Amino acid sequence: MQFIKPAFRNACYCYYYTITRSLNPNPFILVSLPTSPFLTLQSFRPSFSTFSFFSSDVMAGGGGDNSVPPLSHSLEKQFDAFRSQLEESGTLRERIRNVVSEIESATRLMYASLLLVHQSRPTPELLEKAKSQIGVLKEKYKQLAEILGGCPGQYYRYHGDWRSETQSVVSLLTFMHWLETGSLLEHKEAEEKLGLNSSEFGLDVEDYLIGVCFMSNELPRYVVNQVTAGDYDCPRKVLKFLTDLHAAFRMLNLRNDFLRKKFDGMKYDLRRVEEVYYDVKIRGLTPNGEPVGNQGVEA
Amino acid sequence: MATESAMKAPFTKYVEYLNDLNEKRERVVKASRDVTMNSKKVIFQVHRMSKYNKEEVLQKAEKDLAAVTNQYMSRLVKELQGTDFWKLRRAYSPGIQEYVEAATFCGFCKNGTLLTLDEINNTLLPLSDPSLQPLQINILDYLLGLADLTGELMRLAIGRISDGELEFAQKICRFARDIYRELTLVVPHMDDSHDMKTKMEIMLQSVMKIENACFSVHVRGSEYIPLLGSDDPGSFLVGVADIEL
Repeated sequence: MQFIKPAFRNACYCYYYTITRSLNPNPFILVSLPTSPFLTLQSFRPSFSTFSFFSSDVMAGGGGDNSVPPLSHSLEKQFDAFRSQLEESGTLRERIRNVVSEIESATRLMYASLLLVHQSRPTPELLEKAKSQIGVLKEKYKQLAEILGGCPGQYYRYHGDWRSETQSVVSLLTFMHWLETGSLLEHKEAEEKLGLNSSEFGLDVEDYLIGVCFMSNELPRYVVNQVTAGDYDCPRKVLKFLTDLHAAFRMLNLRNDFLRKKFDGMKYDLRRVEEVYYDVKIRGLTPNGEPVGNQGVEA
Repeated sequence: MATESAMKAPFTKYVEYLNDLNEKRERVVKASRDVTMNSKKVIFQVHRMSKYNKEEVLQKAEKDLAAVTNQYMSRLVKELQGTDFWKLRRAYSPGIQEYVEAATFCGFCKNGTLLTLDEINNTLLPLSDPSLQPLQINILDYLLGLADLTGELMRLAIGRISDGELEFAQKICRFARDIYRELTLVVPHMDDSHDMKTKMEIMLQSVMKIENACFSVHVRGSEYIPLLGSDDPGSFLVGVADIEL
């Protein structure tokens, strides 16, 4: 009998604890108790009502789903509104992506025409063909501007959707411009070519600069193929341009981002062009295609 | 030389543009960090709540939150005009999320309801003078902040349970569930739902932790009872007999 007493004290403690600390007991008590002999004890009756008060609360909280807390309604309303707003911007994004994919295919056509430059096709001819796509691009960028016209200030919300495509466009435009004039297409000029203006839909300066870096990546290959085709003056011109370009880029204070990475890559283009220039020069190949000095030695 | 000087002029403009942008971004990042740090303090303040000092603790938390709004959020207003609002979102988003978390956390503890985006944005209106566009938190940052709120709710629920405030804990549980459920419907439509998806997983874990804690108390509440329902009723009756004495 001795061991029962502490057990009972526990039960008692539980009872008091429950009441005083309002710790919720299991609602099952209500179910299990009537079958237990405990039922016969009138002295414990009052406590049941206390229990049942708390237990119903447990039912509502623990079960949860059978009761609709008042806060759900306003909560739902707000989230419904969010959903429709987000769906709207999703639709907008869809429209943007469609236009961007058309920009991309126009760019691809342009690039394909420009690739002939490595096969020493006459430049004016292929430039003409590549240029025919600029009109298409202009039209597409106009569409983008129109789509975004409805949500002012959100250019950068959707920027990521046309970012890399625009960088490719810039790289092709600057390459074409360089082939034509030997100079660098400025940001403003690039904007004009695409019919953009910064007040509504502009060309992001960083996108422009990254595009220029892409264009620099194209130059080593160009030089190599030009020399192979017999244009021995090309390396000098390209080297001059690229050196200046690299110097200009060094003026920028860059962060550790993609532009920085592309700029770091530019020095490899520069080195490659230097190598080609060196190879040509050391062999005494002259711009008019005739090697200087003893041709017999070379042969 | 000709090309070099020709290139220098436009590049000077790019330099200026990039410098301005980077400096602005740096300022925004700093402001965002201050917002984060001080919002965290507000959250900690709310956690200091106990059964008896609720009012006073929440009052202090609200005061602290107002200070965050006036001192730190206000710094963002003039930096995020026009297109900069979306351009620099990455720079300020963490701070705003933490702020949303603190504000909604306070709001829930005080009113038991979810502080809506409109309500938060209304408190931000007085920050800017009429010449500026007011800073208005966007849906995405609000939702990302809400997703973090569940973690705090979980801590709060555990705290309340150990304090014996079971009802409150259950209220928290319902609230966290509601938020989780509503968010599941919204997440697929979010711009960059990747971040949010990982948050949703963590969120579910938090909700389950609250549920498990509620469950444990629920079950343990009955743990005292086995004495009552034990298969040795006689011994219990004997015990009860004691009490009648």
